[in-house]
Amino acid sequence: MMSRRVALWTILGMSIGLLSFNAWAVADSPMDMIRVTVEQTRTVLEDPAYQGSDHRQQRLGKVKEIVLPRFDAQEIAKRTLGPYWKDRTEEQRKEFTQLFTALVEKAYSSSLDRYSRDVQFFFDQERVEDNFAEVDTRVFDPALNKTFSVNYHLRQVNGQWLIYDVVVENVSLVNNYRNQFNRILSKSSYEDLVQKLQTKLQQLDTASPSES
Amino acid sequence: MIIKVLLTITMSLFISSFTISSVKAQARASLEDASPPPTPDPLEWFNQPMFQFNLKLDEYVLRPVATGYAKIVTPPGRRRVDNFFKNLMVVQRFANNLFQGKFPKAGQAVGRFFINTAIGGVGLFDVADDWLGWKDSEEDFGQTLAFYGVSSGPYLVLPFWGPSTIRDTAGLAADAAMNPMNYLLSTTEALAVNSGLLIGQAVNTRSLNLDLFEDVDRYSVDLYGAVQDGYLQRREKQIEE
Repeated sequence: MMSRRVALWTILGMSIGLLSFNAWAVADSPMDMIRVTVEQTRTVLEDPAYQGSDHRQQRLGKVKEIVLPRFDAQEIAKRTLGPYWKDRTEEQRKEFTQLFTALVEKAYSSSLDRYSRDVQFFFDQERVEDNFAEVDTRVFDPALNKTFSVNYHLRQVNGQWLIYDVVVENVSLVNNYRNQFNRILSKSSYEDLVQKLQTKLQQLDTASPSES
Repeated sequence: MIIKVLLTITMSLFISSFTISSVKAQARASLEDASPPPTPDPLEWFNQPMFQFNLKLDEYVLRPVATGYAKIVTPPGRRRVDNFFKNLMVVQRFANNLFQGKFPKAGQAVGRFFINTAIGGVGLFDVADDWLGWKDSEEDFGQTLAFYGVSSGPYLVLPFWGPSTIRDTAGLAADAAMNPMNYLLSTTEALAVNSGLLIGQAVNTRSLNLDLFEDVDRYSVDLYGAVQDGYLQRREKQIEE
């Protein structure tokens, strides 16, 4: 009788232990993080309260709240500068990270305007290696009748998975910007790059409101 | 009963956690590698003007024509036209799969041509893919050269055509030489038919990607560098596969 009860409790205890361990592990999985972020973003984009161009700013603000904390902005900025990062002062690094984040934000927010609820997302697989991970997904756009591969590269910072690169159709965002920035930096100067980023931001500012 | 349920739950959770950790491995040395060397571009003196020329050509000719065409022909119609053009590339697909020892794919390329031509309305419908799952394998002679260890050589922007490399340009010439039109028609006829087909395909492809270029332009700070890197990254992956 006694031993049976002990056995029962042991199994129960083990199950709870495994369950909680597993819940922790699952919640922490990079793929789940990506999936949850995509689903939260979809919810906002499909929310009747945020429809139409009148609500564009609110909608984008809400998406930003969900998406931005998932990105490791400084790591991305660092990687796009490549060998030139180490020559920058702490202040310049901050300035550049801020400018670059603003650019990516502005550029990609206009593609959110083209979102339709028919778009399908597939979360295929993840690879985890120590503090680094890759998550393979696909996006099917029925308007174009085309499937795009989207791979996320993540690293773990203080126990949290953060995105440091997005590879769309085999083109890495970080590598692509690094090539652009290295071309500018090798020909002119860091100041020129900052100037070009600011000009670009102004262009995007004047272009995007009329679009929506 | 409870124990059984608990055991099942425990087991399934255990197995699921196992599968999560087992996909872990697949070593990738470059996961952390932050800065590969910058892309060399010894031919930039030639590429830069060609790139500008292509931009103007697109802005004043290709894009307006493709926009007008897109207003007349619906997207599904244009996708069918795209299928039609791809179906004509059968010799190139077959030969380059064969050269790389991809025999089943070489066979599929020929199979695709006959099925799509006969049942798919002279290639307008890609029934071979829809029904049999025989995908179009986009092999070209540039990839064949890469398969035999020829390195890409410098980046090269071709007028009218766009981004390429020395190797891929040689590949283009070889693929063009394989074009059956050259053997079926006289030289002038072949030239007329081939350039007509090329222009038609360019307009149709552009009409299917009207926003694409504008997107790249919006996202980039240095358009030349963005297009160069985009081409090279995608090409590298294509060759890997």
